Amino acid sequence: MLFNYLKIGCRNLLKNKGFSAINITGLAIGMASAILIFLWIYDEVTYEQFHEKKDRIYEAWNLASFSGELHAWNTTPKVLAAAIQKDLPEVETTTRAAWPQRIQFAVGEKKINASGQTVDSTFLQVFSFPLLKGDPATALMDPLGVVVTEDLARSLFGSNDVLGKTVRIDNRKEKKITGVAATPPVNSRFQFEYLLPWADLRADGDDDSYWGNNSVRNYVLLKANASPASANAKMKVLKPRYDNEDPNWQMFLYPMSRWRLYSSFESGKETGGIIVYVRIFATIAILILLIACINFMNLSTARSEKRAKEVGIRKVAGALRGHLVGQFLGESVMIAFIAGLLAVLIVVLSLPGFNRLAEKTMRLPFGEPAFWLLLLGIIVLTGVVAGSYPAFYLSSFRPVSVLKGTFRKINALITPRKLLVITQFSIAIMLILSTIVIRKQLQYAQERQTGYDKAGLTYMFMTGDMDKNYLLIRQELLQSGAAASVTKTSSPLTQNWSDTWGIFWDGKSPDDKTDFDRFSADENLAVTAGLTMVMGRDFDLSKYPTDSTAMLLNESALKTMGFKDPLGRIVKDGDMEFHIVGVFKDFILGSPYYPTKPMVVEGAKRWFNVIHVKLNNKNSVAASLKKMEAICKKYNPQFPFEYHFTDEEYDKKFANEQRIATLSAYFAALTIFISCLGLFGLAAYMTATRVKEIGVRKVLGASVSSITGLLTKDFLKLIGISFLIGAPIAWYCMHHWLQSYPYRTAIEWWLFALTGLLTAAIAIATVGYNAIKAALANPVKSLRSE
Amino acid sequence: MIKITDLEKYYRTEEVETVALNKLSIEVKEGEFVAVMGPSGCGKSTLLNILGLLDDPDAGSFLFNGIEVAKFNERKRADLRKHNIGFVFQSFNLIDELTVFENVELPLIYTGVKAAERKKIVEEVLDKMVIMHRRNHYPQQLSGGQQQRVAVARAVVNNPKLILADEPTGNLDSSNGNEVMQLLTDLNEQGTTIVMVTHSEHDARYSHRIIRMLDGQTVMENIMV
Repeated sequence: MLFNYLKIGCRNLLKNKGFSAINITGLAIGMASAILIFLWIYDEVTYEQFHEKKDRIYEAWNLASFSGELHAWNTTPKVLAAAIQKDLPEVETTTRAAWPQRIQFAVGEKKINASGQTVDSTFLQVFSFPLLKGDPATALMDPLGVVVTEDLARSLFGSNDVLGKTVRIDNRKEKKITGVAATPPVNSRFQFEYLLPWADLRADGDDDSYWGNNSVRNYVLLKANASPASANAKMKVLKPRYDNEDPNWQMFLYPMSRWRLYSSFESGKETGGIIVYVRIFATIAILILLIACINFMNLSTARSEKRAKEVGIRKVAGALRGHLVGQFLGESVMIAFIAGLLAVLIVVLSLPGFNRLAEKTMRLPFGEPAFWLLLLGIIVLTGVVAGSYPAFYLSSFRPVSVLKGTFRKINALITPRKLLVITQFSIAIMLILSTIVIRKQLQYAQERQTGYDKAGLTYMFMTGDMDKNYLLIRQELLQSGAAASVTKTSSPLTQNWSDTWGIFWDGKSPDDKTDFDRFSADENLAVTAGLTMVMGRDFDLSKYPTDSTAMLLNESALKTMGFKDPLGRIVKDGDMEFHIVGVFKDFILGSPYYPTKPMVVEGAKRWFNVIHVKLNNKNSVAASLKKMEAICKKYNPQFPFEYHFTDEEYDKKFANEQRIATLSAYFAALTIFISCLGLFGLAAYMTATRVKEIGVRKVLGASVSSITGLLTKDFLKLIGISFLIGAPIAWYCMHHWLQSYPYRTAIEWWLFALTGLLTAAIAIATVGYNAIKAALANPVKSLRSE
Repeated sequence: MIKITDLEKYYRTEEVETVALNKLSIEVKEGEFVAVMGPSGCGKSTLLNILGLLDDPDAGSFLFNGIEVAKFNERKRADLRKHNIGFVFQSFNLIDELTVFENVELPLIYTGVKAAERKKIVEEVLDKMVIMHRRNHYPQQLSGGQQQRVAVARAVVNNPKLILADEPTGNLDSSNGNEVMQLLTDLNEQGTTIVMVTHSEHDARYSHRIIRMLDGQTVMENIMV
């Protein structure tokens, strides 16, 4: 019986090639989209899942109030690890990781910049990063040792058999390779090419025991049967025991299973994180698949008159309804199977592009049985969902009606088919409107005034001898004509590296714990960055040597401090005193979606990591960069010349939203395409069933336009209803989404008008082809056949 | 074999109720060949559908081999139908996507006959209907007469006790029509009971008895000599 079903299914497929093509294409695109999205979701939910002790690994977080608002963050003091080890009996061990750094590795003449971290010796016992060479228990114990990845070892030595070999780091230290690690999996937060032992940091004098210095990540491995709740209860009161800054300052242990997906906190509470996008994209995947299934349902039921006779004959021949339901479901699963294979092909072809878009390195795991099971699951589910309604609908036909030719379709006000079209286009309208709002939000943030001039502004991180030779470098950059202006700063203008609530001024309330962004610059910051001074002046060490302890405020900081006449006033940062020399208009240092924070810029006495160079616009950018390179090579010969354009770095702030906007645009386009594919097929069938009516109308004098209008009108009504359903849902979702951005665009009425018009235009173009074709046909033909 | 008593059937729309069968009582004995005649709308096709368990009566009794089947549910009706009744339609009603062989095989599939046995039975029947040489053709590739022979083959393949024929020659020329009537006569002579609805006096003469209907009732019965 199954063979008979398959046989007739195949013949039906071949006999109705157009219908089959629409169905298979729609389902294949739907399934391919779903597979791509599920791959992305799989990649996200498997972050850090490879660690053998993942269920026992936690990260220490701070939880403290500033200016009445509770904040949670995961940079904690270096000294915390020892305190945890001492006070929490539940803890097996702790490990710390400093901020990732890019340093130079040299072997002979070969020099490679590599990223990595300084970590405690227990790092490789807590986390599962297997060593291909060396002993994980001891590899990070030797202060003169370094662990490198297999890739870095090969790049440096051409082989991974490098245990005991020596490398020169940052042109100042010789290190012996004590371990060769496998390259970390991409779905991990630890993306290192090297691991330096904590002892190295200590030797450099960078270790400290200040509870106020939240500068590293502290990780905790609980004992096998330890209670996380009990450990957390102790963490809550740990800090005040060692530090009296704030008796209410709490800490907590945050489980590894939640790091990737849930670690977005607001007012001290988890508010989502990437899990929000996992849910959004999972919903989109299901919706796209559903839309493709709806096509199948609509086209199958639209063709019901063609299958009705077969149903009647089979029933007369003894088939029960169950037999027919099985047959039609079998056919739809078969079509889904063909579509599934096509979908895999589409995924294989589109995965490189999708990877670029998502900035991932996902692959189809052909070797894993779970993948094939999931694929089979998607195929069967799609086949059953798509085939269920047609199967029950077609199998319900009464043989008496269909065999006597008295079977006619119902033209009721609401039919399941109309409901399906409405569902399909409601989803499409939701996605179109959402995409437009996401794009608008992105554009809104991109167009926000940054407060500085990005044009021709570049920066370099100070490596090797650059700090020592800074004045010479600056002088030559200016003299050579490569630069119009140069300044030395603590961080790039696009990144906030430091903030503090420890800023004091006369009149500050003891309860005021305003958090200030902290930046430092030597001189010419305003002219180099193009800041707008609203009061006072820029730093100028040549004219005012005391500017090494001068301070600039942004307008928000001035407002917070409440000075009417700020110039010359003294502001303290910890033990250091600064005098205010100028106030500038706020500029965006952090997120372009958030209001600017109060900010202090401290003078030359502070620390520096970056040189900003405003290129001379009299020369070409290429010529200026060439000169810059020559100068940097001259004064810092051991290190490669690396530079960044501020505008490009600023654009990276939008990468997440840009990615979401692009992905949602693609998926909205696919949804529309699949919906239109179905609408096209449906319109073709609907028009075919009205051929006689069209013929009679033409004979009675109807024009082509009136017939086209007649045939298009019904579909437009459905689109109108879809709009009334889809638009409010989209508004609700997007309104909710925008709430996560303090600096956000408005959802204006014209967005709805645009979406409505766009959808109507697409629907008219889709249906119109069939309608015009029918209207132009010779009525004699259709009437003769009667 | 068939005994119907006071059978009633109505067709209702929102505005009109049409009486299709009006307290109709008929008996058909095993081995009989009965023709049902009457003008269009007299209820003869409705009668045939009810006899074939494709439609339910609104009132009255229908005994099939002594069992009351008027109130049978869909499953029981399908079961009774596939083992006992074969159908021949005016418009052949073959499935276009299946070959001659596959069309004839269809009832055997639903009665659960094994593939090898099905092949044997179908080939025998196709042989008997002189259509074996067309076994791999599709219905559209056959003449009307050949299509009806296939339809008859499909009707008899399960060896039913009763064949219901609804104007079996209505779409055929006289030569092909006579061939089909001869086939039905042969089947009847081999013991199959036949009830045939027809407009053709010529075809009706092949039967043993003609029931003439008007307005859902029997108005006359002619015994053929």
